[in-house]
Amino acid sequence: MIQLIPFMFVGVLLVFSLFFLMRRKPRARAEGGTEVLVEARQALNVLQAGLLPQELVGRIFAKEDLDYVLSEALPSVHKLFLEERKKTALSWVDQVRHQILSLRRFHLGSARFYARLSMRTEMELALAFAALLFECRLLQALLYVKGPYAAPGMVGSTAAAAARLCKISEASLDFLNPSHLNTLGSPSAGQARP
Amino acid sequence: MATTTLRRMDVQQAADDLRHRTLSEIPRSLDRLIYLASMRDYNTGLYYHDGLASRFTQEVACEALADCHHEAFRQLVGCSLQGLVGQMEAYMDSTHTNPVEFLATWKRLEPYRVAVPVETDPLSVEFLFSSFKIALAILEARLAPQRVALAA
Repeated sequence: MIQLIPFMFVGVLLVFSLFFLMRRKPRARAEGGTEVLVEARQALNVLQAGLLPQELVGRIFAKEDLDYVLSEALPSVHKLFLEERKKTALSWVDQVRHQILSLRRFHLGSARFYARLSMRTEMELALAFAALLFECRLLQALLYVKGPYAAPGMVGSTAAAAARLCKISEASLDFLNPSHLNTLGSPSAGQARP
Repeated sequence: MATTTLRRMDVQQAADDLRHRTLSEIPRSLDRLIYLASMRDYNTGLYYHDGLASRFTQEVACEALADCHHEAFRQLVGCSLQGLVGQMEAYMDSTHTNPVEFLATWKRLEPYRVAVPVETDPLSVEFLFSSFKIALAILEARLAPQRVALAA
């Protein structure tokens, strides 16, 4: 009878585990669902066309604008300028972070269904996402405390890291390109190239 | 597919025509942005230009105007603050309005908010609006000593 106790304990644990698994809310998006794909594609477009182009990033953090305002020697304008640029800079980091989170969701949930990524690549990607998200948070804190011109180097490295992740995500989403759509009817559909 | 390509070619031709005949007469991107925004119907978001529509079609003219509007917007976003202040000053002079009234109205009504094309990325729009705000403050601050001198 005493020998049965461990088995009963394991049995009860299994029943509880099943109970909690059943009660757990289903994930908002099914893995491999089109919603995640669309979100990832949109995030990629927003990042590549709107947030990461060098022209815009360069303009937001342009030192020449600050020099110009200083040369005008208008203290009230200087204060307004720094406030406005800080607002825009924080908004930029926030939007980059938001879109990177969307891309990470895609990689966590769906990319493996469409892109054959090796374990090593997946690990590297996970680290890259974590590092970039941490960098975004750090940059936000720096910009908030020290103003828009606090960390020009970090702005550049964040934009470059985000661009690198975009390239990898773009390759994973490559199967959505119209030129590849005719392969969808083939037996290998859903197994796009990495 | 071929129809789309042909239509795109028509739009490019129409946009070139617009640049050559009309926009070349408007040197500053701020003026071009305001001009092109004025070609847009506020209720439908569609652009109208009779001359262009008669040479091409209404749809092609509309797309060409939208393309040029986006182009002017991008140029203005890429402009330095000093450049933007210069453009605003020149635009203000061209309206022959009292600068004090002009600046007060622009600060109050923010007309530049309706001058941006649709489907532009929100951060660029936010950045441009912010730059307009700073440019207006610079112009206003420059005018302040003149006003004091006039009052004295």
